[in-house]
Amino acid sequence: MTFVCIALVWLTGFSIARFLFPTPSRWSLHSVFLFSLGTGLGIGIASCVYFLSLVLFGPSPLILAGFGAIVSAAAILRGMSAKSRGIALEWAAGPATPGYLTGLLLLTAAFAVTMFVVHSLEKPHGEWDAWSIWNLKARFLFRGSERWKNALSTQMPNSHPDYPLLLPSIVAMCWTLARAESISAPIAVAFLFTLGACGLLISSIGILRGKTQALGAGIVVLATSSFIQLGAMQYADVPMSFYILATLALLCLQDRFSSELRFSIAAGLAAGFAPWTKNEGWLFLAAVLLARLTAILRFDSRAVLGPQFLRFAAAALPSVALTAFFKLRFAPPNDLFAQKASDLAAHVAVFGRWIITLEGFVKMLFLMGGFLLPIGLILGLYWFLVRFHVEERDRTPVATVLLTIGLMLAGEFAVYVVFPPDIVTQLNVSLERLCMQLWPAGLLAFFLVANPPQLVTLRPVRSKHDVKSQKAKLRVQPPKPAHPPVRLN
Amino acid sequence: MIALAALALASSFWLLLDLVSVYTRNTATFGVASFEDRFSEFRKTLAPQTVLGYLSDNPVNDPSNQSEFNLTQYTLAPAIVKPSIDERLVVVNYHSGTPDQAALRARRLVPLHDFGKGVLLCRNDAR
Repeated sequence: MTFVCIALVWLTGFSIARFLFPTPSRWSLHSVFLFSLGTGLGIGIASCVYFLSLVLFGPSPLILAGFGAIVSAAAILRGMSAKSRGIALEWAAGPATPGYLTGLLLLTAAFAVTMFVVHSLEKPHGEWDAWSIWNLKARFLFRGSERWKNALSTQMPNSHPDYPLLLPSIVAMCWTLARAESISAPIAVAFLFTLGACGLLISSIGILRGKTQALGAGIVVLATSSFIQLGAMQYADVPMSFYILATLALLCLQDRFSSELRFSIAAGLAAGFAPWTKNEGWLFLAAVLLARLTAILRFDSRAVLGPQFLRFAAAALPSVALTAFFKLRFAPPNDLFAQKASDLAAHVAVFGRWIITLEGFVKMLFLMGGFLLPIGLILGLYWFLVRFHVEERDRTPVATVLLTIGLMLAGEFAVYVVFPPDIVTQLNVSLERLCMQLWPAGLLAFFLVANPPQLVTLRPVRSKHDVKSQKAKLRVQPPKPAHPPVRLN
Repeated sequence: MIALAALALASSFWLLLDLVSVYTRNTATFGVASFEDRFSEFRKTLAPQTVLGYLSDNPVNDPSNQSEFNLTQYTLAPAIVKPSIDERLVVVNYHSGTPDQAALRARRLVPLHDFGKGVLLCRNDAR
């Protein structure tokens, strides 16, 4: 029953994505894009439906099932009946892709899935954050019944009662509908988000830059063992990375297909779920809006600003409003922000905090990801060999992605300097996870600007006539003597 | 690109082997499963609105203190477990064969029910 519930959630998300971008009936890159995007949209919408149902009608499985069925049926009917229209998302033109690259991607994907499965078999309840925060809250929502608000009790400061409820809600929803507390629910949600993020990265880069770049990015993200393990640990950083990537990839696609304003709608939907996933989502929302505004004003026509922003805001509004309602009505103040202003000012004045934070960020550039060699150096070498090139049409999307990542890093840097009393511990336990939130979006930026390598040797194409005449020339003929034969008698 | 892919693949494979080797060697009983097993009988007796105090015989600076407290909270949810003994009912998480009666008396904790496997429910007479 848990898997039926998860499948329905995914199908709802896929149908909404298909309604926005109707896919051709055949299997294509377009389908991969929608399959991946549908994961986050479905889970985001389902968790909002669960929380609304809980707040409005209490913990009734029947009402939740009815409410969920209406939303799901409406989405599936609209999505599946949508006729193919507008653009078809296909591989961008690029250099020929050797077959072995696809093989390498499949092999890396097999390793990643195996790693996820091994981790999940060994630790089905996830790691520290999963059982201290996310699954704990899910248990309170499900087991607590009428007392579900105890999930947000300040008597449990270790569980960060102010954290938003996307993950606990979707897990509790599956348990409520299945009427059983199966550990497969959080594992399945984590698996969908992890694979969804990888699929979204591959398909987005495939549409924007072609197959070779897409497969390269896919191999790197699937081989990032920290990312895959973080997913298997059932932490909220991978879902967060999904929504960051989805928003930025959809904005890039918006710039590529400027007449299709539905990309802005989908980007708004994805961005709206970020603050419902983690508190950093508010920072992301501010960063992406500022970055987008700057990029359009600098590189694009101001005429596109209004229509795009209007659609983005309208789509993000419901989930942002729900998160704001949760924060204002139910959640206690955040422990970091509850500190005295004088303490925060004292933190800022300590020069050592700036240095420690800077050191942490620089070190992370080389250590993150769990690669055998520092990934910062490897990507630097890769850049040295292929170099970057940004076409004029790609300036707005590239600026949007880079500015958003830059603003996020600056914001997180400031948070480290200003807030945590024990900055070293805070950096040790959270910095790599924050970097992993931005990692797929960082790879999107990298493979958007890197020149595609030429991996297949090019041979001049010949016509039949050319081939025949060349064969004739090459036919073995008796060598002509350089000099006339000498008669000996 | 080929070198990048090869490095990525090698890293992935190496970490996978590492993970499998760690998990196949790991025989420790610490973790969610062992806590679920230890606290299962006790949990059945709890009402959802219960608020419990918590006491452990781990040394104060033991790094496993915090994780064991969190695991106890995770296992006993939706009861609320507070990291002090300032509640009428206190759950004691002990690791020795028998609970330290002298330590309990010193804190004015009266044993109510020993659920076995290192789980003891006490009443706090100081409250």
